[in-house]
Amino acid sequence: MIDFRQLLFFIGIGLSLFIGVNTLFIQMGVLSVAATFFIGVIFFLLFREEQKQGNKTVDNKANDDAIDVDIVRHSFIQMNMLISKQIEIIENEIERVSNLVRDAVGGISESFKYLQNLSLEQQKMINSIISSKQKTDDNEHTTLESFVNDSSKTLEDFVNVIITTSKKSLETMVYTDEMVKQLDGIFKLLSQVENIASQTNLLALNAAIEAARAGDAGRGFAVVANEVRSLSINSTELNNDIRSEISLAQTIIDNLRKSVEHMASADMTSTLKAKDKVSLMVEHVSNVNNETNLVVEELAALGPQIVDTVATGVRSLQFEDLTFQTLASLKDNLAAISSLSQLLTDFDRNKDNCAEQLSNITLQCEEIIENTKQADESRSVSQMSMEEGEVDLF
Amino acid sequence: MTVKKVIAENSRNVSIEIEGRFDFSLHQQFREAYSSCNDSGTQFSLELSKATYMDSSALGMILLLKDHAEKVGGDVLINRPSEGVNKILEIAQFHRLMTIKV
Repeated sequence: MIDFRQLLFFIGIGLSLFIGVNTLFIQMGVLSVAATFFIGVIFFLLFREEQKQGNKTVDNKANDDAIDVDIVRHSFIQMNMLISKQIEIIENEIERVSNLVRDAVGGISESFKYLQNLSLEQQKMINSIISSKQKTDDNEHTTLESFVNDSSKTLEDFVNVIITTSKKSLETMVYTDEMVKQLDGIFKLLSQVENIASQTNLLALNAAIEAARAGDAGRGFAVVANEVRSLSINSTELNNDIRSEISLAQTIIDNLRKSVEHMASADMTSTLKAKDKVSLMVEHVSNVNNETNLVVEELAALGPQIVDTVATGVRSLQFEDLTFQTLASLKDNLAAISSLSQLLTDFDRNKDNCAEQLSNITLQCEEIIENTKQADESRSVSQMSMEEGEVDLF
Repeated sequence: MTVKKVIAENSRNVSIEIEGRFDFSLHQQFREAYSSCNDSGTQFSLELSKATYMDSSALGMILLLKDHAEKVGGDVLINRPSEGVNKILEIAQFHRLMTIKV
């Protein structure tokens, strides 16, 4: 027959082992280690008490058994209370961790969503910048570049207009010179006409003298001579009128020459300066454009990187699932400990076969240990790493 | 402010040199320098190394010279323009119209 103390000792080792294994699986730290420690201490004290009593009473075995059963039952009640308390605490802690993780993951997930939206918006802006820079030909989207190019073109047109005006003015000048020559010719002709008039006048005077000498016979002729003379005088007056009119025309032509000269002579110095400024501006705009392009390209490259980083962050949020799985399996371990607690509660002191009950407890402990081992092996097969899965944004 | 005219012996190369300001006041002299050169294929070379200033009327005169040269089947060459004058010629984009020897 197995000695009762030995049996108790084995049960103690079995319980310690069982709780130890569970504790190892729980990996919850101080609480469980403390639980194991307490249970170990209790069994150690129990074992020593048994040894003492065994030394004292060897002859009265039935009585000893009754006392032993009482002590064992008492110990079991204490152990049961301790285990229940620990289970309660651990369950509460698990609940707390679950809530913390859930809240944190919720917050982080929100942040990532927001970050991703911001990144998308930024990407849109960058795209619109790129596309608006390409619309240089569109009249409604005048860029600095197109404006400067237009200015340059306008300046060229302006210079062309000036040169064409000068050329045409010079041509006009040639015609004007020709006209002045023609007017000089008219003056020469007018002088000849004047000569003729003065000669006619002289002839008329001579004719009048000859008519006077002829007396009555020449009276009629004298009238004609006078008429011829007055005609020559009229002719001279008309000549003078023409001369003054043409002189006026000459003055007008002089004014015309001045106007044409003014039109033809444009100072190009200001145009030169404008041209220099436009050239400078073209260069400047080109530089600014290049710099802007570089920065925009860099910005555009940053967008996908942000998206990648966010995706990595979101994938890392799988730790929530893994943590919940772990916590759930901890609950399994707690259930195993609970069932041990139940075994202790079921221990009935009224039954005679106390040794049989104890060995039954031992057997069941072994069974629970085996079950726990199997559960742990299957758990270690399941996913342990967060890198293995793909998770979409939620 | 003078216009010098040199006609080579074969009368097909006419050189016109401008000294000082090249502006409207020269227009008559300038025109007289080329208007009588009507031999076909005459090459007009315009010496501008001593020209100190040029306004738009000078550009107009050069264009009229070019018209005349084309009429007689010849050509215009601008020789060694001074720096300021060359800038004006560049703005006017005369290098597209005729040869400019710097």
